Amino acid sequence: MPPERLHELSEIYPGVARGGVIDQFETVRIRRDGVHIEVSLSIMPIRDRNGRVTSALIIMRDITAAQLALQEAAQSSEKLSDRERMLKRALVALRESHERAKSAQLQLVQAAKLESIGRLAAGVAHEVKNPLAVILFAVDYLAESIPNPDGNIQVALTDAREAVGRADSVIRGLLDFSTATELSPSEQDVNKLVRRSLQLVRHSLTKSHVFAVEEMEEGLPSAMLDRNKIEQVFVNLMINAIDAMPTGGTLIVRTRRDRLTVMGSDVGVRKTDRFQVGQSVIVVEVEDTGTGIDETARPRLFDPFFTTKPPGKGTGLGLAVCKTIVALHGGTIRIGNKEGGGGARATVVLHGIRSKEGQSDGEGAGPTRR
Amino acid sequence: MEKVRVLLVDDEPSFTRMLKLNLEKRGFTVMVENNGAYAYTVAQDFMPDFIFLDVIMPDVDGGEVAAKLRRDPNFKDTPIVFLTAGVSREATKAKGNIIGGQQYLAKPVTVDEVVATIEKVMKKKTKATPASPRG
Repeated sequence: MPPERLHELSEIYPGVARGGVIDQFETVRIRRDGVHIEVSLSIMPIRDRNGRVTSALIIMRDITAAQLALQEAAQSSEKLSDRERMLKRALVALRESHERAKSAQLQLVQAAKLESIGRLAAGVAHEVKNPLAVILFAVDYLAESIPNPDGNIQVALTDAREAVGRADSVIRGLLDFSTATELSPSEQDVNKLVRRSLQLVRHSLTKSHVFAVEEMEEGLPSAMLDRNKIEQVFVNLMINAIDAMPTGGTLIVRTRRDRLTVMGSDVGVRKTDRFQVGQSVIVVEVEDTGTGIDETARPRLFDPFFTTKPPGKGTGLGLAVCKTIVALHGGTIRIGNKEGGGGARATVVLHGIRSKEGQSDGEGAGPTRR
Repeated sequence: MEKVRVLLVDDEPSFTRMLKLNLEKRGFTVMVENNGAYAYTVAQDFMPDFIFLDVIMPDVDGGEVAAKLRRDPNFKDTPIVFLTAGVSREATKAKGNIIGGQQYLAKPVTVDEVVATIEKVMKKKTKATPASPRG
């Protein structure tokens, strides 16, 4: 018996002497060859005819092997659980990379589609603009040559001019699309570009009785942007917002800096991810107070030639151009309805290059309302 | 007052025909050439005050025609404005109708815009080089 177990004598045997039974008490004993073994001890008192305990039946079973087997089983089970956890993690990672691969493939398909549309556009533009120019000159000539045109002639001439204008705007959209492949970036102040864009849509705002609210966070990091192209994006988004409020409303243009904390389809930890978790970015939001976007239209919003505007009003290329331009800048654009309804919101996320003097990333001066 | 002589070089005959009709109605003297390769020879005969050049033409493009004209002292200062179907009107307008140092008009363009361009450029030229005899 190992010396550290001697105390068991005084704990176990007095009870047996009083008639108690010990059932499968697990302890340690020393074999004759000196090896410590684990045993299961069962002790039953033996009584004489008067009922007095005179001796005891002791059954000691060597359970070392069984215990080892149990331990191994426990370890194996632990290992199994570990493996299961690892497998589960691997499965999640696999699913994620599958999703990424799927989205990359979709983007590639989309990019190829856009590129071929772009190439086609440049060719079509040249072939269509010449005939349009001829029609416009012919209309101008007729307008000047008919001495006293009656109302119908005037309507015909005006309609023809407007039709040329419409066709031209589709071609213009296609050209914008085809030229949205290269950037001339320079360091830009996003707030300045947003304000310039607002100036450019000032006429449309007034015409549609839309009130503009600026919520600009001052001291944003500057960004490497192609000024004309990014302004084109902002103007397109503002025009869409204004068009969504034909009976008036409020256009809210907001800029802010944000730190990306949640992983998403464009946010990750790999170098190949568009944005990195923890990165500080510039967010530009354009909101309207219109009726919002029909859920069925949402998946197709960025498809070329998809429009929810009335015939003759939209070419269906504005958002496709926006997406291409933003993607070229390494940014993202998404459009959805505002939480709680009451209009739509377009969100553009861009990379900032550095903070302005005296401010580090994450310390904004706070938004200013105008 | 002598009529302003305008040379139109564009490979699209219906385009030059329509523009010629309109410009003549507005009091300009107009000569048309539909082949870039002959544009220089026609210019030598016609001695235009103003030249409109199409950019993309099959044999000799507008850029080459302009370069040849500029090498001739007779046309060194003759205003040249390109007419192009290859860029959007917004793109040309946004850059003050000048791209890469050259003045452009994007098709389709109204007769009023064409005339306004001629008048503006001629006015600038008169200020810059007063009374230069022709020939």
